[in-house]
Amino acid sequence: MDKISALMDGELDDRQAREQLVRLKQDEELAGCWHTFHVIGDALRGEPVLSQGFNRRLADRLNEEPTVLAPQRREVKRMTAYALSAAASVSAVALVGWIAFVNNPFAPQAELAKAPAATTLPPATSNAPQLASVPNDGRMNEYLIAHQGFSPSTSIQGVVPYIRTVSGAQQEKGR
Amino acid sequence: MARAWPIIILALAAPVLAAESGVTEDGVTWLKKMATASRQLNYTGTFVYRHTTQTETSRIVHYVNQAGGEFEKMETLDGPAREVIRTNDQVICYLPESRTVLIEKRGKRRFPALVPEQLTGVANNYVISVTETDRVAGHECRVILLVPKDKMRYGHRFCAEIASGLPLRARTLNEKNELLESFAFTQLTIGGSFNRDRVRSNYAAKSKDWRVDHSAFSIAETPADTGWVLTQRPAGFRKLTELTRSFAGRAAKVSHIVYSDGLAAVSVFIEPMSKTRPLQSLSHQGAVNIYTRTVSDYMVTVLGEAPAATVMQIANSLEYRGAQGR
Repeated sequence: MDKISALMDGELDDRQAREQLVRLKQDEELAGCWHTFHVIGDALRGEPVLSQGFNRRLADRLNEEPTVLAPQRREVKRMTAYALSAAASVSAVALVGWIAFVNNPFAPQAELAKAPAATTLPPATSNAPQLASVPNDGRMNEYLIAHQGFSPSTSIQGVVPYIRTVSGAQQEKGR
Repeated sequence: MARAWPIIILALAAPVLAAESGVTEDGVTWLKKMATASRQLNYTGTFVYRHTTQTETSRIVHYVNQAGGEFEKMETLDGPAREVIRTNDQVICYLPESRTVLIEKRGKRRFPALVPEQLTGVANNYVISVTETDRVAGHECRVILLVPKDKMRYGHRFCAEIASGLPLRARTLNEKNELLESFAFTQLTIGGSFNRDRVRSNYAAKSKDWRVDHSAFSIAETPADTGWVLTQRPAGFRKLTELTRSFAGRAAKVSHIVYSDGLAAVSVFIEPMSKTRPLQSLSHQGAVNIYTRTVSDYMVTVLGEAPAATVMQIANSLEYRGAQGR
């Protein structure tokens, strides 16, 4: 179990990590732990909890992706490791998958929530030259509150802009 | 298209008008009037904060006592209860749902009056015009328009109460003149009987055992040369302050540098990387864009009420030059 948490923290070297990944694949209970750890981590960081079966759908989707035929194919195990870690850091993929809202600030919020499942994920191989912007989920609140006091706009509007820091939209996502 | 025309005409006409009839001067006067009014008036009202598709209604009470002490209480009326209490230079956010208290206290720089330096910055980076009168929450107000001179900043549209100058509505617009965020009173009473009780927290007593995050106490904040510089500073932005500070739950000191164009501010936070390498990410909260990336062994978070391109340019041109790299 402690090895699994070490794996999660990125503390294992390549060889150890591979061993643990093999264990994870064989032991269903262990895989459950791995999943739970991530859910706990996400909750602690206030990251949005993904819908039921997201991992399954993401894995299916990754399977459907065309295989990139590189001139020299490295060992297959390594590829698996990447795929697994990609599936594990679901929030990262969701981040890239979400549509850019910078240019469309009034895009319906509801669509946003289901975006990771409903919209087409970009090919896993793409370099994502343009980073999509996602709504703040509250993780940056301590920075936001620290910033606010220095902003000249605060001197015009008083405490009002602090509503950004305590905005309900973030709280709803944390549920 | 039809909506864009008046803006273009205004943008072209304003410098000429400024030179001939001092309209810019008038705009600056209004900005000062707004800042003064929001600090010195007693008022109570309900305002709506709108961003993306969300709207949130809050109640606000602002009270200045005989000695000039400033007290403000803001409580949300929709969704989970949240409260922001300001006592002079201290801001406390109570988040009952997560049983969290965020405390931010700082020296005299908090809620600074608009200093002449800043106003020069505003005039250099925006075309300010005082236009028509409008009505907000039953009060007549004057529209003050700030059209950015380039794409590095957003446009602003204020409506300030005619007599006092209190801002009744503030809108932030992107380069396509689309609304990013707005604050507007729907009900407002200026003056009347006030006392300290009206600005007291509903949660101060209940929150004793909540998680308290002293995000930044003045003790932990020291002016410093962090050694970080910008190789490509966005046009019109100047360094406002540079310091190191502590954050709850973080062992290492965080460098904090603030850049401003007189109205908008962008904060840079630099800290040693945690064990797990953070991913590059871009997020937003109303008109505030937040960008995180890594620079060698550091995690950099840049945020501010400026376009994503400006925030990212600052983040991407950060360089560590050491102590002598000023």
